[in-house]
Amino acid sequence: MNQTAIEAQVVPVKQPLDVSAIRGPAPQLLTYYLIVAILTLPGVFFVLPALWFRYRTLQYKFDDEGISMRWGLFFRREVLLTYRKIQDIHVSRGIIQRWLGLATVSVQTASGSATPEMSIEGILEAEELRDYLYAKMRGSRQNVSTAQSDESSQTENEVTELLMGIRDNLAKLVDAREVR
Amino acid sequence: MENIRRASEWCYQGLWYSLTKWFLVPRDPPSLPSTEGEWVQSFRPSEGYLNYLRFFFWLGLFAIDIALTIGWIAIFIALPIVGVLITPIALAIIVLPDIVAYIAIHLRYDTTWYVLTDRSMRIRRGIWTIHETTITFENIQNIHIHQGPVERYFGFASLLVETAGGGGAQAHGAAGLGHRGMMEGLSNAPEIRELIMQRIKQIKSAGIGDDHVDSETSTTRGFTPQHVQLLREINQLTAQLAT
Repeated sequence: MNQTAIEAQVVPVKQPLDVSAIRGPAPQLLTYYLIVAILTLPGVFFVLPALWFRYRTLQYKFDDEGISMRWGLFFRREVLLTYRKIQDIHVSRGIIQRWLGLATVSVQTASGSATPEMSIEGILEAEELRDYLYAKMRGSRQNVSTAQSDESSQTENEVTELLMGIRDNLAKLVDAREVR
Repeated sequence: MENIRRASEWCYQGLWYSLTKWFLVPRDPPSLPSTEGEWVQSFRPSEGYLNYLRFFFWLGLFAIDIALTIGWIAIFIALPIVGVLITPIALAIIVLPDIVAYIAIHLRYDTTWYVLTDRSMRIRRGIWTIHETTITFENIQNIHIHQGPVERYFGFASLLVETAGGGGAQAHGAAGLGHRGMMEGLSNAPEIRELIMQRIKQIKSAGIGDDHVDSETSTTRGFTPQHVQLLREINQLTAQLAT
């Protein structure tokens, strides 16, 4: 009885998100687009095909350095950016998006426009994706600082060892001279 | 009076519960990923900010309701029958928006969160559409604090943080989707500014995408007391050898 209670409390370790697996929007995005199109009432015949094509052609590619995103059927667009240039990350969820479990992750670089450079739509793991981008963006120096301190402490240790060696050798020399 | 307060609080709790349950408004304050032992703080705007919002609510309520009431009385005097007929509508128009606005103020206050760590900040805002903005201090270009006379009376200030790039000012207002983070209603705005400024001063990059310079500082750090002690001993030994 006790054991089951303890087992229930064990929180599964959250796997870090494999971003390279994200290649396109989640199917829920189509539902969201459908609702959005219907909400425009008379515009539905224009909006729905446009959104449908957008959904069908939307592609993401996350690699080690940055993100690329492409969409469009007749007019094709492609946006590329590197993680290091990211300045702000915005996550916004409307009420319908929350019901569907979606979120829009918008990423801004230092460009002149107020609208985000890249709005990654239809992501189910928005929190994880944001954490991933946050870890990669400038100024969140989790990885860099630990690596650096490791390195510097290593050199420090080596310097100490070398100095100790020199001291011991000198001590031997002094001893040898005194014996003579 | 006490009963009314308790009842309204109870109603508000119910509303809050339904918002979190069916409208999936997050219950927990936001946080930021951080390493162990790092300083992370989540907080709401100050109480003074809520009082400030309430103050303007009452101001607007009196102005609009007095105007509406005068209009209604005018109709009543001119056309008594119409006046009687529209009484329920008039009352609804006068009272209902007030209740909605009052609740909206509280919801706005309760859904606004700020998070600060040593390296970055996060702002959450919104009820229907929830926006979360994350900015690292390294990307911040400038900080503004502004405080009007009424805001000073209520004891808070607003802090605006801007990153490189532009166009943020006109498009999204206080919601701030573009290159800016707005922290409204801070009772300790100068302290937070100091905190951010200190962090920015430590960072030697220009703040638009160039490489870290801190490797330089870590190599110049160099000697520890242990090293110095060893060097002294070596110096002594060489002195003995030289004689």
